[in-house]
Amino acid sequence: MNIEDSELIWIDELHEVSLGGLAALSGLSLEELQLLVESGALAPISPTEERSPEDWQFSSQCIVSIRTLSRLKRDFDLEPNSLGLMLAFLERIRMLEFKLHALDHIAENNGK
Amino acid sequence: MKFKDYYEILGVARTATNDEIKKAYRKLAHQYHPDVSKDPAGEAKFKEIGEAYATLKDKDKRAAYDALGRHSSGEEFRPPPGWAGSQAGYQSGQAYSFDDIDLADLFASFSKGGRHTQHQAHHMPIPGQDYELTTQISLEDAYHGATVDLSFSVPEYDHQGQLRRVPHAFKARIPKGVVNGQKMLLRGKGGKGANGGKDGNLYLNIHFLPHRLFRVIDHDLLIDLPITPWEAALGATVKVPTLQGAVNLKVPAGARSGQKLRISNRGMPKHNQEHGDLFAVIQITVPTNPTEQEIALLKQWSDISTFNPRTHFVYEAV
Repeated sequence: MNIEDSELIWIDELHEVSLGGLAALSGLSLEELQLLVESGALAPISPTEERSPEDWQFSSQCIVSIRTLSRLKRDFDLEPNSLGLMLAFLERIRMLEFKLHALDHIAENNGK
Repeated sequence: MKFKDYYEILGVARTATNDEIKKAYRKLAHQYHPDVSKDPAGEAKFKEIGEAYATLKDKDKRAAYDALGRHSSGEEFRPPPGWAGSQAGYQSGQAYSFDDIDLADLFASFSKGGRHTQHQAHHMPIPGQDYELTTQISLEDAYHGATVDLSFSVPEYDHQGQLRRVPHAFKARIPKGVVNGQKMLLRGKGGKGANGGKDGNLYLNIHFLPHRLFRVIDHDLLIDLPITPWEAALGATVKVPTLQGAVNLKVPAGARSGQKLRISNRGMPKHNQEHGDLFAVIQITVPTNPTEQEIALLKQWSDISTFNPRTHFVYEAV
């Protein structure tokens, strides 16, 4: 059995990933990701007019949602135009679950 | 190799049309897809459904599957002689071992660009599959950072061109600062790409093992702090264990069960060199076998005290 060392990459809001990196990690094409940015469903960090897509950076936190989107597209044959809407819902669910988790935490702290 | 009845899994007849198969798949996918369903068994169920659909939606694969004949689900079987070469473009006259692969591996190989696939697929770059693993680490390892051994097995072709489940093992360094449920990835450590396609990634879910003393919420820790009734009533200084060593904690007089006392910066490490907090959760504990003298003192306390902790109760029926 081959044993080798490997460094882990963080998936959270503090670390960044490029457009190409996001495509490689998620399975969505560069065109599909650019469409998501144009539709406003996916936002690069500090976007500017001069910054070309090659220079875009995204929070690595979005890898999980984009990868979920890629799986849903593959398994449900989703239309390309529905991906932005789907991503917006996925992000909303992620945020609501995060808030719910935080509220549970507060309730647990206050309840005891 | 164990047989799986793909028609039964999708709940369709063997004579079902492509539309009927697609409709059945979509209905089951809505029910069991792990990104949609909250059913804990959904992921395993969907894997089976996806495997059945991937085979039955493809004309050639379905014909090859049908040519395997009818067997009971779970029944051990081997494809009939000549099956692979005649049905799916497998090279004829070559001996294959089916002992350590399953039906999914066999049909997945039709489209992966491996040695056995059809000629036209040979030059198409095919990315390797992503895999997802969950590893459990101790709270101490999460606190200090640790190297973990990861192992899994995936179907790959060996140098003789046979499809086998190949064990993989990695050592991965998990840095300190991870939270319970943290996701990380090992780039290129998933399935091997074919024809110049990129290797897949390995996604790692990190879960903490339950700890004997501490519970963890994000970067904060909780510890149950048992105290005696007299420590609760009079106040006390008690020694509390933390991951950085014991600290003395002042319990205020009149402490209540469930009350949380915060010990700052004694929780789990964060990215920015700071730490979460440790919360000591007070539990007032009475002796299970009090001595006669203790019972006498408690009775005396009961007799002279007017304290009623239930003044807020309403006893009338509503």
